[in-house]
Amino acid sequence: MAGVKTSRFIQALGPIPVVGLFVAPLAVSLLFILPSLVDVTGFVSLFEHPQFWGSLRLTLFTGVISTVLAFILAMVVVVQGTSFDRADNVYMASQAGPMLALPHLAFAIGLGMLIAPTGLLSRLIASFFTGWIEPPQWQTVQDANGIGLIAALVLKETPFIVWAMSGVLSREDVKRAFAGQRSVALSLGHGERSIWLKVLLPQILPRIIWPLVAVFSYGMTVVDMALVIGPAQPPSLANLIWTDLNDGEVLANARGAAGVLVLTGIIAVLLGGAAMLVKSFQPLLHRNYAAPPQNQTAMGLSLPLWTIVKLLYFGVVLILALQSISGHWPFPRLMADQYTFKSWVRLLHDGWPLLTSLILALSTSAAALLACVFWLETKPEKFDRLMLAACALALCLPPLLIALGQYRLFLQLGLTGTASGMFLSHVLPVTAYVFIMLQGPYRGFDPRWRSVSDGVVASSWRFYFRIKLPLLKAPLLGAAAVGFAVSVAQFVSAQLAAAGRFSTLPMEAVTLASGSNRPLFAASALALMVLPLMAFLLASHFSKSRWKPG
Amino acid sequence: MLELRDVSLAIGKQVLVKQFSLTIAAGEIVTLMGPSGSGKSSILAMIAGDLASAFKASGAVLLNGKSLDGVSPQNRRLGRLFQDDLLFPHMTVGENLLFAVPALPLGERFAMMETALERAELQGFASRPPHSLSGGQRQRVALMRSLLARPAGILLDEPFSKLDVELRQQMRDYVFSHIRARGIPAILVTHDRADAPDGGRVLKISVGGEVQDV
Repeated sequence: MAGVKTSRFIQALGPIPVVGLFVAPLAVSLLFILPSLVDVTGFVSLFEHPQFWGSLRLTLFTGVISTVLAFILAMVVVVQGTSFDRADNVYMASQAGPMLALPHLAFAIGLGMLIAPTGLLSRLIASFFTGWIEPPQWQTVQDANGIGLIAALVLKETPFIVWAMSGVLSREDVKRAFAGQRSVALSLGHGERSIWLKVLLPQILPRIIWPLVAVFSYGMTVVDMALVIGPAQPPSLANLIWTDLNDGEVLANARGAAGVLVLTGIIAVLLGGAAMLVKSFQPLLHRNYAAPPQNQTAMGLSLPLWTIVKLLYFGVVLILALQSISGHWPFPRLMADQYTFKSWVRLLHDGWPLLTSLILALSTSAAALLACVFWLETKPEKFDRLMLAACALALCLPPLLIALGQYRLFLQLGLTGTASGMFLSHVLPVTAYVFIMLQGPYRGFDPRWRSVSDGVVASSWRFYFRIKLPLLKAPLLGAAAVGFAVSVAQFVSAQLAAAGRFSTLPMEAVTLASGSNRPLFAASALALMVLPLMAFLLASHFSKSRWKPG
Repeated sequence: MLELRDVSLAIGKQVLVKQFSLTIAAGEIVTLMGPSGSGKSSILAMIAGDLASAFKASGAVLLNGKSLDGVSPQNRRLGRLFQDDLLFPHMTVGENLLFAVPALPLGERFAMMETALERAELQGFASRPPHSLSGGQRQRVALMRSLLARPAGILLDEPFSKLDVELRQQMRDYVFSHIRARGIPAILVTHDRADAPDGGRVLKISVGGEVQDV
């Protein structure tokens, strides 16, 4: 360990856990994709598929629109919530945390129950405003244009972008520089809006590029969310591919693989195009940065957007809770006729998915945390860039792509349908997230603690366990909680690796989506939500320092 | 002309400045001195309308006879220079200058930018990124940028303190001559007596918040 006098032997072992759990499986999985690049039959079959072009159009629409809207919404939220006087953006980041912990799938299920024609919102409207007796004719869930899917994606990704942006803004050095630049720009006659658009946001954007890329890549390829709230005829391209990949037939499989590659290519082309567009427009924008008319002041938007987003999250949790214990619940009643815990009893009675998810989340987050700490202690900081690049790759490549390669790898190794396969498929994304969360705080550990304790603490191990770990408690627990949440939310790679022999909470929820037992469906979604939320609450509870500052 | 009338400044219960009045004529540069934490920078922020909410301020600020009360910072027409040059790092030197040029036809705006570059003795530097310039060069650009916005007064917040000793005198002469040429009032805040222009008025904030001529 750094500061711990370890033998060269242990130092040399440093990268092994991370490479074994994460880098090697990722690299080999990607290698296993390559054969599909030259498999012409797959591509031909894909382009001839009657639903391909419709699916592609739909995916482009939902993916692009949801990313752009989430970005704009997050930007407005951050602008509204930031004051260079106070520490608001830190506050915003901490509020975004629990929202990030909710799995996309569970959120989409809850949102569907909120906005569906028979959902809570239309019941509210019916009860207080219109007096509808029949559910309205609007289609908000599984609508042909994917509006429901877009809404779910936007609401789910906004807190993530808010979190990333406020992370940048709450850095002391950034905040100080921005405050100074803001004062100067004010003195040059620029108002708040102009300052955000021309001075601050152009400097924030390059720092949140990777989160944005991840959001776009996710939106273009999401499967589980689209299965419950997205359109079915035609489905999104990712879901078209998903059906093919789960098909036993060889040609369908080849078509699915071709689809994954095409989708990845489209994402790459769009991202490249967006980058070029920004690059070529930037000088043009700067040239026109004259001081605007002198009366420009406010942001012009006083809608409390962040509060609305938070209320919707609350509504999602509420409806899942209500629905999960509701008995007969005819429209337009605001409350069910009776309440029962039947669904929860059944969920716990057939408890394997819950237990499997819990065991996987605990074991993978623990393993990833240990592996990352081991790396950070034994490898010098200069190697972190390589790891971070691998993490960025793991998070920005379409999950479908990695999952497909991994599935082929597992088939070769006989790991499909085994516990090790389940563990490996979950630990890969978990490690990527844990490392990204942990790297900054861990490397930022002030080496002077080591110097001051040298004279006091006898052994290096004691320093490590009595000083360093307690001081790094918050980031360690935070990273573990994120890892836990990521593990619980895994669907695509998990489903392929399970080969029908295992079921986790997301798999169960997706299965229930096609059934008619809404209380059970809601209970499984809520269980899916509660696990990561509990991890976050526990982490933040135990992260508290003994004394509250101030 | 820039006037302060009975300006008081406090943070919490601590009074920083008490009943301070001052009139600065066009083209005059008044130096305001005081130890760090004495509130001298905060007076500039208050004049600029950009005071942090933790402070309590009272009194009036008048620019050319008009009260600035209720005028938003961006409409006060008061230029500011700080310890740091605060050039926007994502814009070139030329773009930094253009940022301050009022909305005019593009040709005129470019001409003004070029003139400012010449005055900064930095012809041909328009497309350079700010970080490729030396500290003195950057501070000259910062001054030119604030003057391009055609300010009616200028607030200097220790603009020389981060420069090398040799460069400092040169920079003082440069800044003062340009401000005098514009004929606008200026306040210079500093803790270094040598920063004050020769023959200019020098005021000092004492511990109790009194401001006296030195």
